[in-house]
Amino acid sequence: MKSGRSPEETMAEAFLQISEPGASPTKRACQTRAIGIDLGTTNSLVAIVDGGRPVCLRDAGGAAIVPSVVHYAADGSIVVGTEAHDRLAPEFPRDTIASVKRFMGRGPSDAEATRKLTPYQFAPPAGDGNVVRFAVASGRPVTPMEVSAEILKVLKARAESELGSPLDGAVITVPAYFDDGQRQATRDAGRLAGLEVLRLLNEPTAAAIAYGLDKQAEGTFAVFDLGGGTFDVSILKLEDGVFEVKATGGDSALGGDDFDRAIAGALLAQWNLEEAAAHDARLIRRVLDGARAVKERLTSESEVSIDFALPDGKRTAKLTRTEMELLVEPVLMRCAAPVRRALKDAGIEPAALSGVILVGGATRMPLVRQFVEKMFHRPPLADIDPDEVVALGAAVQADVLAGGAGQGDMLLLDVVPLSLGLETMGGVVEKIIHRNTTVPCGATQTFTTFADKQTGFDLHVVQGERELADQGRSLARFTLKGIPPMPAGMARLEVTFMVDADGILRVSAREETTGQEAKIEVKPSYGLTDEEVERMLLDSFAHAEEDVKVRLLTEQQVEADRIAAAARAAMADTPELLTAEDQTAIEAALGALAAARAGTDHLAIRAAVEALDAASKEFAGRRMNVAFERGLRGKDVATVEKKADETAPKRDLATRAGSHAGHSH
Amino acid sequence: MICWSCEKEGGKGPLCVSCKAILPPDTGDDRFAVLGLPRKFEVDVAAAESAYKDLSRQLHPDRFAKADPRARKAALARTVELNDAWRTIKDPVKRAEYLLELAGFGLQGEDRKPGADMAPTKKVAAPPAFLVEILELREELGEAQQAGDAVKVAFMAAEMRGRAAQAMKTIGAALESGRFEEGARGLIALRYYQRFLDEVAAHEERALSGGDHG
Repeated sequence: MKSGRSPEETMAEAFLQISEPGASPTKRACQTRAIGIDLGTTNSLVAIVDGGRPVCLRDAGGAAIVPSVVHYAADGSIVVGTEAHDRLAPEFPRDTIASVKRFMGRGPSDAEATRKLTPYQFAPPAGDGNVVRFAVASGRPVTPMEVSAEILKVLKARAESELGSPLDGAVITVPAYFDDGQRQATRDAGRLAGLEVLRLLNEPTAAAIAYGLDKQAEGTFAVFDLGGGTFDVSILKLEDGVFEVKATGGDSALGGDDFDRAIAGALLAQWNLEEAAAHDARLIRRVLDGARAVKERLTSESEVSIDFALPDGKRTAKLTRTEMELLVEPVLMRCAAPVRRALKDAGIEPAALSGVILVGGATRMPLVRQFVEKMFHRPPLADIDPDEVVALGAAVQADVLAGGAGQGDMLLLDVVPLSLGLETMGGVVEKIIHRNTTVPCGATQTFTTFADKQTGFDLHVVQGERELADQGRSLARFTLKGIPPMPAGMARLEVTFMVDADGILRVSAREETTGQEAKIEVKPSYGLTDEEVERMLLDSFAHAEEDVKVRLLTEQQVEADRIAAAARAAMADTPELLTAEDQTAIEAALGALAAARAGTDHLAIRAAVEALDAASKEFAGRRMNVAFERGLRGKDVATVEKKADETAPKRDLATRAGSHAGHSH
Repeated sequence: MICWSCEKEGGKGPLCVSCKAILPPDTGDDRFAVLGLPRKFEVDVAAAESAYKDLSRQLHPDRFAKADPRARKAALARTVELNDAWRTIKDPVKRAEYLLELAGFGLQGEDRKPGADMAPTKKVAAPPAFLVEILELREELGEAQQAGDAVKVAFMAAEMRGRAAQAMKTIGAALESGRFEEGARGLIALRYYQRFLDEVAAHEERALSGGDHG
């Protein structure tokens, strides 16, 4: 699935594009410019359909994966991906957000934000909002949606450089078990990144599409998707190009991260560092990263010894695979009940399945494969890449939605993962749409008043399987007012729930006797209002200006350093060509440049660079003459000219690529 | 219906007869008609399923993701209607309940939660003797579960599945010949049987989940 082009070619093309801003080149034979994005807890990918087949887009080094890690530096710059993960996260754990997906659609009081082993610092909620916000070095606290948007922007840029712009839109995948609030948050992140989100697609469904189309598979399959932070299990029927989800189950707060945490917890206990870990972000980040390395190496090895560079010195972890498995097994066992329930809801016995598809990095662990084999009475299918399959399926769906004819009659029938209901008297939930109902769907339920002369209804929308409202997830509260006073039980309130193909809910209520109506798009209790999304978009434009300033400054600083170093080297190289006047003037210009270099005004640096140029002009001229004479003695003019041609654009390219790579904008 | 796109008469189907634009649903259709089926209990489920999938291919919002907002709205409404219809038709219990609802029969069971309400015209309730019998069976089940008597639980569950299957047959026959009240009584009995079986399944799951953690 390699794109078949060398990194050099990619760089050269990138340079050509930069130098011709008016053009919008299409380098691929794609019918649509629609993209599929797997926005993962640990890694993210983007894929397109090219020549009828889905392919993941790769960076210059051939990597499809972008680590879902975002660093916010004190100077306002934002770094996404490998550099943020490898270099910045260990050094600046508070300012480098990893696994942000676990915070999507969550509030500050949620388990995820209050758990012990977290390297982050949370800012108090802003205004009446109830959204988690990370305090980071760049100043303004950021929400999980904004962090996710930075990852999406990088993927969007990668797609635009392949397909040209504007894009036709994107399909972004979400765990099937994401609730309404988590879905809204993902949509908001897409909007913040400037993407037209064509559809939110459930990850196991995306995997089944990619697998089913690639292998021409028919039958009923289970998808077991254990990612970095979420677990899904879906049962799908594949027949005549129809992908029909029969049932889905899962846990949106269970994944490979939890294995790391279990291992990290045991190591901290062993080293008597539990106390220290309570408030040392760097220690937590390094132990979590080390625990992940232990887990990954024990996938192929049976015993490891790994050194941890902790703030107070080196520690060594020695573990066998069996010991590690004992630590993570209790976490893995939490997958059992959702698997049994999904099979039961789908009305299918494990023996009747045609196969089990594995998705997500955590399914590489031998223990997980054994567990799957035990639950489904068969070994899982091992002929797919568990990292790429979700993005590939998303690309296929994006292409279909954008009108590409590649997949003919393909049709997707997905379901609501969690029941949706209303709180009634006594805090009991009346379910209006049951889990595993095919979307889009709607349902209407009639309620009545319980008190005489009641003039309003308070509606509390709840998601989840529990019977009592306070055990489920609160999605929204709203009030229908203006009902004329009537005896209890006389008013008739008709409440309609409608779930669209993204799995997002809209609720409307109508009092039948008066026709009084209230309509709301359910804005989740832990989500953003439209105004907040607007404001963030405006903010990001304001920041875009700052970002440009930062980039210009960095470029000028690099140029200043280069020129200053060259001048010093030249003076040391040919002191015999230097007059006393030259020396004084150049030293003065170098001093002025150093002063400007320390400031933040890129124009001042540029002026100082020009001043240095002017001061050293005569000296440089003399050097040039000497070099030219020397050169002519050995080589002909054509070679000299060619050499000059080669060096000029390369230097320019390197600077641009450098500032580009470190930046998400 | 006048077509929103070509402004001519579009006909009764989902697609305009003159310009093929997708039209909003006709509120007069019942769930049988949505799938092109006659309004009766006996249904060829396999044929109904292929009708459902063919219609889905034509009407699903995925087919209109980039279309005119009016077409998108119509596709969403059509597909909601289609999914609701198929959900009702494929399940014999839901199909029976729906036929009774169309015939103006409401079911009065313990099913309804306080605050929730249906608006039936003719209410049918379960006979007291039947309720007493079910109550006693539930107690017996609870005791067997408490005592960990898996054999007895399995035996009781098998017996109850037999009763449920029998009830379904009775309901089907009654509805086919228009004996709605008999069908309604059968359906109430079936609900209690189902509830019994749900309890058996829930207990098994609780036992398994406990085992997972321990």
